Amino acid sequence: MTMRRGVGLAAFDNHQRTAQQYSDLGSTILQTHISELTDQLLTFQAALKKFAQSHADEIRSDPVFRSEFVKMCSAIGVDPLASSSANKKGSFWAELLGSDVNDFFFELAVRIIEICRRARDVNGGLMLVEDVKGRINSVPGRPPVSQEDIVRAVNTLAPLGHGFGIVRLANKDFIRSVPQELSRDQAVAIEATQALGYISVPILRDNLAWETARCIAVLDDLVASGLVWVDEHARPKEYWTPSWIRQ
Amino acid sequence: MSTLPSLSTSSRNTSFPFPSIYSFPPFFTRQPNSQTWTSQLSLWNSLILAYCRYNRIWRIDLNTAIEWDLFNNRDINRSLKLETCKEVLDSMVMKGDAEWVSGSGSHVSKNTSAIIYWRRPEEWANIIADWIDSTGQKNTILTLYEIAEGDLSLSQDFRGIDPTILRKALDVLIRRGQAQIMKSADGEEAGVKFFGSQ
Repeated sequence: MTMRRGVGLAAFDNHQRTAQQYSDLGSTILQTHISELTDQLLTFQAALKKFAQSHADEIRSDPVFRSEFVKMCSAIGVDPLASSSANKKGSFWAELLGSDVNDFFFELAVRIIEICRRARDVNGGLMLVEDVKGRINSVPGRPPVSQEDIVRAVNTLAPLGHGFGIVRLANKDFIRSVPQELSRDQAVAIEATQALGYISVPILRDNLAWETARCIAVLDDLVASGLVWVDEHARPKEYWTPSWIRQ
Repeated sequence: MSTLPSLSTSSRNTSFPFPSIYSFPPFFTRQPNSQTWTSQLSLWNSLILAYCRYNRIWRIDLNTAIEWDLFNNRDINRSLKLETCKEVLDSMVMKGDAEWVSGSGSHVSKNTSAIIYWRRPEEWANIIADWIDSTGQKNTILTLYEIAEGDLSLSQDFRGIDPTILRKALDVLIRRGQAQIMKSADGEEAGVKFFGSQ
């Protein structure tokens, strides 16, 4: 299309007509793109669905494959665990990928909730992911789950308001199964227990440079929350984390 | 300092395999947090039942049992206090896993001796009834001694059973109509007659 610069009113008219032609062309290109994209998306959807269905067994039984599959989904912006409603089957992607991935993590989440509930009196609602994994995998006849699986399952619970979440302390993952979050001091104190299994007023004072009053306050806090067990025979008194109990 | 209970019947050659909680020092401190204490009570309950079952201990006399390795872990130098031990047994009694009985001797102090139900009387009743059936002893009269110490019960779980517990088991069978106390001519209790299980 050639452009001709006219003069005067005729030029103005020309400009308008040209602008309109550009706009029309733009729309046409856009329309073409949209329909091409739609075709591509439909093809993609079909391929993804087929893939998920034909690999359903592997997704269910192999933690490594499962992890790679979920990572791939995330990379392309698909969340196979997302729920648009309380109904676990409400998610578009759950429908597309088949219920296996969703089912797997849902069932795992239920088991995690049960294990944490039973241990709550012992550990105050803070439990090592490693311990939960040990308990789940000690049941024979089921394919093993990985730490990653557990963390993922817990993260699906978080937005549902069960009071569940993952807490990272001293380079280890813990599951918090009570709504109360750890205060900064509590978290630091729990981290300190991971070295010897216990802490005491002198240990906190010497290693964290806290005043005695602050040490006593956080230790009392931890006892009140049921997060530590007290050893009164020790001089000075020791406060142990139950995660130290080897199963 | 810690001792083993004296075992009247022959028992295992290996000592009781303690669970990992037994090596957790705070396990021997009465926990101040009530939820933690609830879980601690439950753990002690299970441990005591398992220990008594393994060593075939029928009753615990607090004043002597407090010296046992059950309540004293020498490896970590921790011992359960007597008052805490009593609290644990009280809770076991509440749950029906133990029962306070009067202690032996003339000095009868309240609640220092307890029989331990690592099997409940109903369970013992079933086991004894099955044994009567399988040994063809229906309609025979047996003394309590014969039941607990006779040749035919040598390999049975109730071998050497505490007489008080045996009584309670027999009471269950009597209530069910599966046994009857037989008295001799002078009105003395002679033994038990079994009718066999339904």
